[in-house]
Amino acid sequence: MATEVKLPRLGQGMESGTIVKWLKSEGEAVKKGDALYELDTDKVTQEVEAEASGVLIKIAVPEGEVEVGRTIGFIGDKGETVAESAEADSAKPEPAPVERAANDVPHAATNGSKGSEAAAPAAAREAGGRIKASPLARRIARERGVELSQVRGTGPDGRIVAEDVERGETQPATAAAAPAAPAGEVESRPLSNVRKTIARRLTEAWTVPAFQLTVDADMTRANQLIARYRELNPDVRVTVTDLLTKLCAQALMRHRDMNVQYTEEALLVFPSANVGIAVAAPQGLVVPVIAGADRLTLAQIASARGDVVSRARDGKLRSEDLQGGTFTISNLGMYDVDQFIAVLNPPQASILAVGATRDKVVPRDGDLEVLPMMTLTLTCDHRAVDGATGADFLRTVKAYLEAPGLAL
Amino acid sequence: MSYREAVRDALSTAMRQDDDVFIMGEDIAEMGGSMGVTHGMVEEFGKERVRNTPISEMALAGAAIGAALQGMRPIAEIMYEDFMTLASEQIVNQAAKHRYMSGGQLNVPVVFRTQGGAGWSPGAQHAQQLEAWFVHIPGLKVVFASTPEDVRGLLWSSIYDDNPVVFFEHRTLYGIKGDVPAKIEPIPIGKARVHREGEDVTVIATGRMVHESLAAAVEAEKEGISVEVVDPRTLQPLDEETLVASVKKTNRAVVAHEAVTKMGFGAEVAAVLQYQAFDWLDAPIERVGARFTPIPFAPVMESFVVPHMETVLEAIYRTVTKKS
Repeated sequence: MATEVKLPRLGQGMESGTIVKWLKSEGEAVKKGDALYELDTDKVTQEVEAEASGVLIKIAVPEGEVEVGRTIGFIGDKGETVAESAEADSAKPEPAPVERAANDVPHAATNGSKGSEAAAPAAAREAGGRIKASPLARRIARERGVELSQVRGTGPDGRIVAEDVERGETQPATAAAAPAAPAGEVESRPLSNVRKTIARRLTEAWTVPAFQLTVDADMTRANQLIARYRELNPDVRVTVTDLLTKLCAQALMRHRDMNVQYTEEALLVFPSANVGIAVAAPQGLVVPVIAGADRLTLAQIASARGDVVSRARDGKLRSEDLQGGTFTISNLGMYDVDQFIAVLNPPQASILAVGATRDKVVPRDGDLEVLPMMTLTLTCDHRAVDGATGADFLRTVKAYLEAPGLAL
Repeated sequence: MSYREAVRDALSTAMRQDDDVFIMGEDIAEMGGSMGVTHGMVEEFGKERVRNTPISEMALAGAAIGAALQGMRPIAEIMYEDFMTLASEQIVNQAAKHRYMSGGQLNVPVVFRTQGGAGWSPGAQHAQQLEAWFVHIPGLKVVFASTPEDVRGLLWSSIYDDNPVVFFEHRTLYGIKGDVPAKIEPIPIGKARVHREGEDVTVIATGRMVHESLAAAVEAEKEGISVEVVDPRTLQPLDEETLVASVKKTNRAVVAHEAVTKMGFGAEVAAVLQYQAFDWLDAPIERVGARFTPIPFAPVMESFVVPHMETVLEAIYRTVTKKS
């Protein structure tokens, strides 16, 4: 039985160390007390002695940063091998990059030996400690080197099914005990320009002090209006998003303080409501703009929206389609989302997150009614808009939804 | 062509081209059989080749085996598969054994056609599905066809197989219609049929349950579950290769037959799948079949005991962990 070489704690507060190099090579004889490897801690670089005699049968971590307590090598008898899974990990043809090597360690340790500590198990365990997993899930986990104890099961009684392993592989339960995916499994996709733009703009948005306001709106009349509108204009398919676009545009014109953008020099107040609609295009999120939505009819909005959305999905938007927005609507109702918080779309000062319309029991006049309710969450740039301003605007949007005639 | 006509077409075509082929059974001549399958055949082939027998399943099965040993290709009709119990001594101990015990000197090219099944309230002694009794016997081939095309092509292959074949038909399928090739095309014994391709779960069904499963697949599709439906058609020998390949693709399996679930044919299928596709299974194999009780007379109780489309659908949902 091989002895594991674990990274020692060489002083209080030491959580990890960096292996600089091994002073013995694989297959070389080692005596207890021999200098085995060079370790760099945040304080010093020092040689670490072997704690057992034998042959260094495996170096699990050739170099790089490692947590205290992780197995970095094995000392055993000549000719002895370590457990197959640990073997497979270190037997990769090319030297692993530093980060990956560090990640490999817990995997090797937990697989290669029973006693080593693992992070809190996420999977459903039976009393006997056996993890419930389907045979297929076990096979995939075995092939990809995923620790089932780190996977949360969503099958009956918490059983781990194949999908859980596949999902778990890309979302490690804990950073420390993350099972490293074998080298071939990680796909590196170059960032598209859309992806880069999304990342840059939303990171920018995250620095903006923002607040959120939520209301529920009774959609009875709005739904009736849409149904009637479809009857009268069968050629244009009007949607909830179209109605929201129209009503928000009207509300923005009524609350001009909302139709603004913050700049270092001044607050810009816009003369018309240019409403952006968040679209999940194949290449990523895009927000084409319906300019002057306050002056368009519902049918005009529907047809403009149909045009930009279909061009967005075909990747044929022009840059002017995406410019000049003063407000954004993000509707995830069709994905069955109840409610959510949208991230600002800079430089715009507000964005409305729209959930699905659901029948809910609502107290009304001392009675209970079942009404189709929709939850709206408004995110505002607090530099440009105050809470009361946002609340006032949202109250108008709600009133318009509940009585669309008021928007006339 | 209806399922009933398809059976008759296979019998008549074989009898027209081959003098060695003849049929025998209770009331199959003037009456045309209790299910009307052999209707009109006595007029064409005469009473020598469409033979009424006394009401003794043991005697008629034995006589058919004797004729087969003498080089004929008889088809014996056992009116209800419930009555196969009476013919079992001949089928199990004689027909299944002669080739083996004679060291291959004797062939027994006989077909035992029979029918059964619930759905029309025939009661406990006329509604059973007893295929599991015969798939357990080395030396017998067992066929259970579910469509007009399959029943015709498989009966043809059974008639011309040199070994005894127990050929199950389902009472409620006689009236169903389906397209058949203009000319009879033999369907090899031991080949399953994939009725419908799917991705999420494989339903392996026999007889009436093939149709119930196809209906369940349509329902499941509305919920976004893609169901593959496979009919083994031959229960013995079983086309393990096709079944295992399907389950390796979908990772989930439901086995459905009208016979009692416990100790049934489905248990064998489940065992084959778990052994050969163990590492591909993402859910326990579901079995669908009748409850463990004699089939009741009362229609509502009969319906309660045997499986239907809904029973299959619930099993499908369990395998994919959806609502049940």
